[in-house]
Order: sequence, then structure tokens, then C-alpha cells
Amino acid sequence: MRGNPGDGVLLTAASGLVDHFFRREYGRLVAILTRKVGVRHVDLVEDAVQTTLMNALTSWVAKGLPEDPGAWLYRVAHNHLVGTLRNDAGRLRILEGAANESTVAADHPVSPRFHDEVRDDLLRMLFVCCDEGIPRDSRLVLALKTLCGFSTAEIALRLFLSEANVLKRLGRAREHLREVPPDFDSLPLQALQSRLASVHVVLYLLFNEGYLSAQSDRTVRREMCDEAIRLTTLLAKHPVGATPETFALLALMYLHGARLTARLDGMGGLLLLEEQDRSLWDREQMGLGAEWLQRAASGETFTRFHAEAGIAAEHAFAPSFAQTRWKEIADLYAMLDRIAPSPLNAMNRAVAVAEWQGPEAGLAVLKAIEPPPWLLGYYLWDAVLGELHRRAGHTEEARRYIEQALASAPTDAERELLRRRLASLGSL
Amino acid sequence: MSTHKYLCMYRGAPSQNKPSPAQMQEMFAAFNGWKDTFKANILDIGSKLKPSGKVLTASGVTDGPFAEAKEVVAGFMIIAADDYEGAVAVVKAMPTMQMPGACVEIREMASF
Repeated sequence: MRGNPGDGVLLTAASGLVDHFFRREYGRLVAILTRKVGVRHVDLVEDAVQTTLMNALTSWVAKGLPEDPGAWLYRVAHNHLVGTLRNDAGRLRILEGAANESTVAADHPVSPRFHDEVRDDLLRMLFVCCDEGIPRDSRLVLALKTLCGFSTAEIALRLFLSEANVLKRLGRAREHLREVPPDFDSLPLQALQSRLASVHVVLYLLFNEGYLSAQSDRTVRREMCDEAIRLTTLLAKHPVGATPETFALLALMYLHGARLTARLDGMGGLLLLEEQDRSLWDREQMGLGAEWLQRAASGETFTRFHAEAGIAAEHAFAPSFAQTRWKEIADLYAMLDRIAPSPLNAMNRAVAVAEWQGPEAGLAVLKAIEPPPWLLGYYLWDAVLGELHRRAGHTEEARRYIEQALASAPTDAERELLRRRLASLGSL
Repeated sequence: MSTHKYLCMYRGAPSQNKPSPAQMQEMFAAFNGWKDTFKANILDIGSKLKPSGKVLTASGVTDGPFAEAKEVVAGFMIIAADDYEGAVAVVKAMPTMQMPGACVEIREMASF
């Protein structure tokens, strides 16, 4: 699972199919067919694709793989969908007064062979998922379902939601899409560019759900990060999304992603940056991150993604924890805070300042923040205060804050990390 | 060489649960592994059967089958084995048998 997650080329010996073949085909077919029949029919498209993949499973087990599995799937899904639309056509016409279903029936089911065509359809689907009319918390769920081919149960597992909640979010998204007028489908992709900011947010969330998730299964987390990188790469290489902001977003994904494996110990526990084995960092991903960061720096724009990618690059290319350029990192956090103000940026800056100028200087940064109520109950705030007090030798305050953090830490991995800190305090 | 033939009939309505694409890929790999292991036993991997059909009796033709849903034959396969024990082993290892509610009737085919 190395290299460019955009093109799966590894054959799984047992099946003769590339990794994630069914999931990727789901996303590809939903995107192409939705493009053909219109966004308002996305439910029917998904049903047709699901049925087709099940038929493929039975048929391919009995008869072996067809010569071109992708073309086989497309043909069967297309015909199934046309059949469904024909059956509904009379009713649809009466309901909508629109009759462009016949264009579908006349179409020859030839699978798009050109990479560009499929890429355009995938990107269009991504922009559909980021429709401003879809509630914010439904957009990511819809993208995971339609573009990444995850089931509602798999999405629930990945986002730490109940399956009922996932279904509710999907339902709201679909409710909106059913109302999208047919002329939307004839708009060129370029006309959707106004949604680019919303697309960036969804991709950023997708990545962070993998990277920061409390999910302990490493492959599940890697998979989410890879999906984010795959879709962001498509965007970055297409005129509709080739902006410095997209490049910076992709750079930050690669630079963080390169360190993902080293972040987890053998048991799925979290390791501090200081404890990570830097030889485990993925050089290839770091190289790609550096390349995209360079391209991101081509214009005048400096976005939050530029600041975050810059911070990730400082960490990734520091020869050791001790040789990290903490001053640069502290400055980047200050810049990030000017673009996207949040007390969390100041908190992170305090950590960098503590490494650079000592724990008292870090504590001074924290003292200058007026923490909003939500931050006071946030375990990381207590954990950082506890850690800086510990280093400054203020044992009592350290113990108090770490215990507070322990009480509200959300996962076993994080609690374990805090317990280790508390134990080291006892030996002072 | 196994000399006895067995007709295996899948019973029950087609499963309503929808596996995810990722699960389908796992099932595909599992099926191929099973087919490979028992390639000497599987004479005809058979087929699923469509849910409705015709029933002929001396008095005419009707739509059917009318048996209870759980008794409807949903698919079939023909395998070779030395005895029932061997036939059961082949079917038991089939990935679909891991699913809740799976039911297969195995009948030795009489040779004349």
C-alpha cells in the first residue's frame, strides 16, 4: 500500500483483482452513471451499482473473471439502471413533466475508457457532495458513501457515529439531491468551482478522520488517509482544482501521512513525536509532500493549509526531535492563528515555544490566552498545561492538570499516554 | 476419484443483507479459495434460481413454487465425493455457509 494511492496496481493473488477493486468500482460507477442520468437519481444509481456488484460476485465465482471486469460492470449496471428508469418513466414524466429519460435508453453502454473522462465524473461527484444546500455534517458522509464505496456500517465505524445517525445524515443529503433541477447536470465542471472551499473542507475532514481518529485499527486509519490523498490528487491535477490552496492541502496530507505508521505503537497506542522512530517515516510520501508544498508556494496566496503544511514539513524534515526548528514552528502557528483564529493554535504555539525557549516561556504563552469555556473542559488543554508544569518542575500543578486531562480523555490510547506522564511525576 | 454425485440445493429466500463492496471483495477471494481447494469435487458449480417459476401437474400448469419461502430452492450445485461425510465437508467450507440462516440440502444422486 505504498506509492500513489490514486492508482491501485497491486494484484491480490487470491482473487486476481486489484486491492479495493469493488470499493473503487462502486465509486467509479456511481460517478459515471450519476453524470449520465442526473444527480436527482443518485439513489437509483447506487441501488443499481450495489445489485451489479452482487451479480458480479456470483457470476465471476462461477465463470471466472471476464476479460475486462470494469467494462462488464459498467454494462450490467447501465442496463439495470436503464431498466429501472424505464419502469418508472411514465410515473416520472407525470411527476416532473420532464422526459429526458429517453436519452439514457438510447445510449450505448460502453464503459468510459479514458482516464480523463472518469476523473471528470469523480470530481463532479465530489463537487455534488459539497453542495452548499446539503447540511455541512452530511457532506463527508455522502462522499464516503458515494465516492469511497463505504457502507453505512463502515462509515459509522470510521466516524464514531451510530449507524442510525449516518443514515439520517445520508437521508438529508439525498433529500436535497432529489430536488436538484435537471439543468444542473449540463453545467460544465468549471461552473462548480465556487464550491472549491467546501470541497477543501470535506477533504481535510476526511484526512483528519483517518489521521487523528481514536480508531485503533491502523489499516482502517491508513485507508481513510489514502482516500483523502487519492481524491485530493485528482483535484490538484485538474484545472478546476489546481490552486495553491489545493496543493498546500495535498502537501499537508502527504507530510502528515508519511508519519502515520510511526505514530502508533505495536498495540495501536499513541507515541509522542519525541518517541517516534524516524526511520519508519515514509520517505516517498515526504518527497511528494515537499514537491506539492513547493508548487503551493508558487503564488501570492498563503492559506491555513499553507501554514499547516509548513508546520508538518518542519517536523517531517527535522533530523531529530532536538534539532527541530521550534522557532519556525512557533511562527507558523502564529500565522495560522491570524488566518484561522483559534485558541488551539496558541496552545500548539505554546508547545513549540516551550521546546524553543523552555517550559516557563511556553506557560507564558498559555497565560496570555483567555480560554473559552469549551477549551477548559478539553483534555488536551489540561494535558498541555500539565506537561509544561511538569517540565518546569511544578509537580503539584502538573499532577492536578494531568489528572483532569485523564478524567476527560476520550480514548484508551490517550489515557495510557497520560498515565505514563503521571507515573513519571511520581518519580521526581 | 470420487464416484458418488451429490445434488446440493440452497434453501430459503435470497438473503436480504447487503454486503459492502469491501466485504464483497473478501467474499470473492474466499469463494475463489474454496473453489480452488475443492476443484476436484465441484462438478458443476450450478447457479442461483430466479424466485418464480411454473409448476406442472397432471391437471395443468400453475405459477409457483408455492412452498413456504424457507423451503424454496434458491440455487443448486453438483459435487462429487466418496460419501456423505465428504460431501458435507465440501459444502460446510463454502463461504456462504458462514452466513446466518444458510441452509443447503444435500442428496446423493442415484446412478442407474
